Amino acid sequence: MKRLTKLRLSPAYSGFLLMMISLVAYIILRGPAAFFNINNLASLFKNYTPIILVTMAQAFLMFMGYIDISIGAQLSFANVLAVNLPTMLGVPVWLGWLLALVLTMLLASLNGLIISYLRIPALLESFAMIFVIRGINLAIQPKPGGHVDPAINRAYDRLLFGFLPTSVVILAVALLVWMLLKRTTLVNHLFAIGANERNAYASGINTIRTKVLTYAIAGLFTGVAGLCYTAAYATGNPITGEIYGLQSISACIIGGVPMAGGFGTVFSALFGISFQIFVKDSVVQVFKMLPGVYTTYWHNLFTDFIILVGLVAAIFFVRRQDKHRLAEVSAMLEKRGND
Amino acid sequence: MERIRHFFRTRQIAVALLITVFLFVLTTLINPRSLNVNTAGSILALTSMLCLASAGQTLVILTGGIDMSTGDVMSITAILTVSILHSGLSSGIGMLAAFVTAVAVGAFIGFLNGLGVAAAGLPPMVVTLYIANVVDKLQYVFTNGTPTHTSVPNWYKQLITTRFFSVLPSILIVGALVFVFVFLLLGRTRYARQLYLTGNNPRAAFLTGIRTRRLKIITYTIAGILNGLAGLIGAGNTGNVDCGTFRDMTITTIVAVVVGGTLLVGGKGSFQGTMVGALLMIVLSNGLAVLQVSDSIRNLIMGIILIALLSLYNRERSVRL
Repeated sequence: MKRLTKLRLSPAYSGFLLMMISLVAYIILRGPAAFFNINNLASLFKNYTPIILVTMAQAFLMFMGYIDISIGAQLSFANVLAVNLPTMLGVPVWLGWLLALVLTMLLASLNGLIISYLRIPALLESFAMIFVIRGINLAIQPKPGGHVDPAINRAYDRLLFGFLPTSVVILAVALLVWMLLKRTTLVNHLFAIGANERNAYASGINTIRTKVLTYAIAGLFTGVAGLCYTAAYATGNPITGEIYGLQSISACIIGGVPMAGGFGTVFSALFGISFQIFVKDSVVQVFKMLPGVYTTYWHNLFTDFIILVGLVAAIFFVRRQDKHRLAEVSAMLEKRGND
Repeated sequence: MERIRHFFRTRQIAVALLITVFLFVLTTLINPRSLNVNTAGSILALTSMLCLASAGQTLVILTGGIDMSTGDVMSITAILTVSILHSGLSSGIGMLAAFVTAVAVGAFIGFLNGLGVAAAGLPPMVVTLYIANVVDKLQYVFTNGTPTHTSVPNWYKQLITTRFFSVLPSILIVGALVFVFVFLLLGRTRYARQLYLTGNNPRAAFLTGIRTRRLKIITYTIAGILNGLAGLIGAGNTGNVDCGTFRDMTITTIVAVVVGGTLLVGGKGSFQGTMVGALLMIVLSNGLAVLQVSDSIRNLIMGIILIALLSLYNRERSVRL
């Protein structure tokens, strides 16, 4: 019972409910046999690992009360670097990929530095950064294409021990990394900045260092997402990633991450993006069942409409939850006063 | 030094104008051939267009909100305008029908935005973005990917793009009308005072008896109408419409408003500023077009100049103060 209350008061609860609803709908529409097929699950994870990782990165920034719409462009940055660095520098592929990862982290830290020192609102700064990153991406690789060793693609697609897709391992490691990070003071400071930056500064937190490091961590996740994208699609594309920027923000909000920052769990991000993915795939299934031929335009319209409804529902839910939480806390305080 | 600093901090519109002149002179020095009547005319036309599109955005940002649906409202009304003008009505009635449709569609979407932001209390950026997404997808569904008519009737295109004395485009008249409207609205009405107060401090405004919720809904609706009209005029100005023609306008309008000295948190700013901001943006992109550099360098320069501009006068307060 206590567990249940704890879950109900968790900020991820709205996202959890929405995800469960969409998941059940998807399983029913797809048919349980087809859904629980190992190949189906593997292809789901394979395709969506990049956007899931990007959403996690966005969530870290949102915990701090910041957003970064250039995060999608950063994914493409890692993508084109991974494809082109090995041939450009004549280094082995693993080194090229490592360099791509490090450079993406540096790029993200640059965002953090600009936000900290120039104090431009994050929305506008990251909008301007999209142009800068797009410029760099186009300079590295003007057209989509490029060559990626098929062995990498095969390794990414492979099922470890016959049932575990590589992408799931990557996601699990990413989650573990965040869980470990959560024990550090850095993450405590990050949440403190999200709650109130001025107070955080006043209580002795080095806000600039925290912000830059958080951006670097987000950059790490974005970089890994870019590498996964490269492995999954075996091609470099300078601009396709850009749409992930706004999509990851809305996924976080559906999952229950507050825009103002200060609290939230990474599961919110996971639930939010899963909801979007399942809705998208369910809508396609529904249209397949309907008589007549429908274009993908109809799919897109209904997907976005359902996500809009989910968004409104999530926010109303969070507000009700806040009231409950307040009631819970005041009841607890009263009880303590009586003792 | 202190005086220069003071000037930069307080006279944002003048600074933006100075930068515009500087950029223009720079462009002319780099490529003297770019200084001709044609370029001047197109700069004026594009600036008027961007001013039209940014008028609604200015009002919304003044309340402390943001409207991510500007470009999509414009696109959908542009498509509707063209299909109405092609539907066989006589030009007078067709024009009237297109006007009424643009206003109605804009008002409806704006009203939905307002409901989402003020009545439901959702974060403005997210709710308007998703409403915009739905509006964008609607265009594709209704037109099946591409509208039946993509080109604007010739008479309408000429009506908007005719250049008097080969410099002044007729869209400038529309721009002037909208300017007068917004100028009077922001300068002379009680509504505007309440708007500024609400943007400055919503709580205090509410406590002094301003019905902030209703005010916001009205503001988003007016913004929607202005965006709808911008789509109507924009169709004539570009001559060709497709699904999502004006999608990229959204963020450009936000940047124009912010570069014009309006604070993103609301409560401070003006439409004159937005006009200068729009001029600056157009002169900048014109300069980049004249430069004849590759796509990648153009994007890079654009981004860096934007960061420089934003850091010049839209900085947040330091935590140390």
